[in-house]
Amino acid sequence: MGTALQIKNLHVEVNNKLILKGLSLNIEHGEMAAIMGPNGSGKSTLASVLAGKEGYNVTKGYIKYLGNDLLKMPPEDRAAAGVFLAFQYPVEIPGVATSTFVRTSLNAQKRNRGEAELDAMQFLKLAREKAKQLEMSEDFFQRAVNVGFSGGEKKRAEVFQMSMLEPTLAILDETDSGLDIDALKIVAEGVNRLRDDKLSGIVITHYQRLLDYLQPDTIHILAEGKIVKTGDKSLALLLEEKGYQGIDGAN
Amino acid sequence: MKNLQHKYYEYYNSNKGFFPGIDINWLNDLREKAIDQFQKDGFPDKSVEEWNNFPYKDLTNNYFEPLSDNQAEIDLNLIEEKDPNCTIRLIFFNGQIVNIEYNQLPKGVEVNSLTYFLKNNPNFLKDKISSANKYAEERLSNIIDSRPQSIVAVNTAFHKEGAVIHIKKNVKMPGYIELMHIGEYNKNTMQHMRSVVYLEEGADCEILENIVHDNVSDLVFTSNVTDVHVSDDASLSLHRFIRGSTNQIHINNIHGSLHENSNFLSTSIINSLGQVRAENRVNLLGENSSSTIDILILGSQNAVIEGLTRVEHSKKNTKSDQKARIVLGENSKASFQGKIRVNQNSDGTLANMSSKSLLLSDKARVNSKPELEILADDVRCSHGVTVGNLSEEQLFYLRSRGISEVEAKKILVNSFGNIILDKLSDNLIERAKKIMLGYYNE
Ligand SMILES: Nc1ncnc2c1ncn2[C@@H]1O[C@H](COP(=O)(O)OP(=O)(O)O)[C@@H](O)[C@H]1O
Ligand SMILES: [Mg+2]
Repeated sequence: MGTALQIKNLHVEVNNKLILKGLSLNIEHGEMAAIMGPNGSGKSTLASVLAGKEGYNVTKGYIKYLGNDLLKMPPEDRAAAGVFLAFQYPVEIPGVATSTFVRTSLNAQKRNRGEAELDAMQFLKLAREKAKQLEMSEDFFQRAVNVGFSGGEKKRAEVFQMSMLEPTLAILDETDSGLDIDALKIVAEGVNRLRDDKLSGIVITHYQRLLDYLQPDTIHILAEGKIVKTGDKSLALLLEEKGYQGIDGAN
Repeated sequence: MKNLQHKYYEYYNSNKGFFPGIDINWLNDLREKAIDQFQKDGFPDKSVEEWNNFPYKDLTNNYFEPLSDNQAEIDLNLIEEKDPNCTIRLIFFNGQIVNIEYNQLPKGVEVNSLTYFLKNNPNFLKDKISSANKYAEERLSNIIDSRPQSIVAVNTAFHKEGAVIHIKKNVKMPGYIELMHIGEYNKNTMQHMRSVVYLEEGADCEILENIVHDNVSDLVFTSNVTDVHVSDDASLSLHRFIRGSTNQIHINNIHGSLHENSNFLSTSIINSLGQVRAENRVNLLGENSSSTIDILILGSQNAVIEGLTRVEHSKKNTKSDQKARIVLGENSKASFQGKIRVNQNSDGTLANMSSKSLLLSDKARVNSKPELEILADDVRCSHGVTVGNLSEEQLFYLRSRGISEVEAKKILVNSFGNIILDKLSDNLIERAKKIMLGYYNE
């Protein structure tokens, strides 16, 4: 095993407002960690900082991923190093076909890592296979990225991208919200299919149902910009029963 | 300015004997009326609403000598080869016809230079070259304001050459016709081209006017005016690609009359570094006629580019769509004026207009003015204007997937124009994409 991701005493300001206030978290290779917490506690902020979004000012602390200082890397290098964020609110890109976008992404990462790129045929074959697993119709290849997609389609498209890009650190930010029960199952199976001893995951969610499918190794409660409690699956059950108010330090 | 105006007037009067078609009365009348109009109105200044976005100082403060008819010299081998999809290509160099290329002239298609037609078939052109004011706007008081059409008046008086395209009844022209205008002027010169496109009933044709004024060492003032007639059930695509160096001043007008059940599509892609104004004035004169006008402006350096569209709905159940997409970098400036007029009793009109601009620099400026004038009752119109910068959210989304910042910007800039490029036919889409890709290459 060994540590894949190490976040230490992370302080992050957004628009001069301190949002993360000393967050520490370690994730092992192959570990699936769930992060739960009240709205506005900073979960998406953490996800954005991990992926490298601008406008997040890290005033203290560090993030190491596979031994690299993640905060020094531009977002595209983080992606090539295996970081993938499934956005809570996937972004629409009019005028760019989804397949063009994913192929450009995949080949950019491969180029970055010094690997051979996929040609159009190889890409299409792979994309068809992954779309089929996620029970997605192929017409979405030609549709502009996320444009006119329903909430559920957007989330499914995020998981499609993830399965194409094969990350080593997947951050799922409320990927389950907006999905009906059947779609949730398909998406969860899609994530589970990628799981092996190299893929670490951070799953941000409010719901037990996704956790039932993913069976996370650890559960962390984020409140007021810090991890206030860490436990195993039973913590999620406790949470469901008592709410955040019932957890020490989470209010 | 008055002095310069007078200088043009004098030049006209002492040289009019040398303009082509001097022996054709109706053409002479047109020229005379036009020069009188110009003498009265002068160049449009800030007081002319359609011209008040930018001061055309270079145009109004300099005298442009009408280019004399010395032999145009160009090595035809240096010109890029005719596109395989192009069936007929006419090449004009500094305003003179230098070549007509085709493998076989399709049956029912007549294409040649204006001077050829004036010499061999002048009657065909009668009433097809319109007066400078035919497409001028009627004010609500029924007074025609001729001042916005002042450059058209200059063109009408001074034009010496152009292209004539005549497609006969029910003839579907394969491929497309390219009218290539190459300009390599020196000295302050002016050059005016007048073209006529006439489609008979049920005819179908696609045309590209490709204007390339790259090697221009002094300010050059050129205008192209095209009179378009689309008969019942006919369908015309008339596109413009306009490119030029910093010294290019080019005014381009398409004047279209559309009859019953006819279709008109015009896509203009403008990536000049100079000053370009591209107008489309279209009258929907027949029921169920429809017009689609798209403009893509790609500005950089100190370019000043204007698009003006004016569509007049004069019959029932007519449709129009006007779209402008404007990308501006560095110090470039642009405007889009989109007008829809729906005349009385033109019920069932459907008219849409949208203008979106993407500013890549703090110094770039854009002005978009939609205008609706609706005199009928049963009308569906929409218009929308947006101006923005590259979206940080979109950039981050692309980069988070592994795409470099430079590449991500390229993707976003190029995709901005796709809504316009995607409407082009298979004949032209690759050429258009090449222009788009060539524009943004940081
Ligand atoms: N761009 C921003 N500007 C200002 N405040 C922000 C911005 N993004 C998030 N915040 C604030 O940061 C806090 C944490 O937000 P977020 O990380 O989205 O929470 P969560 O995902 O846990 O619901 C909230 O108080 C939110 O209002
Ligand atoms: Mg959130």
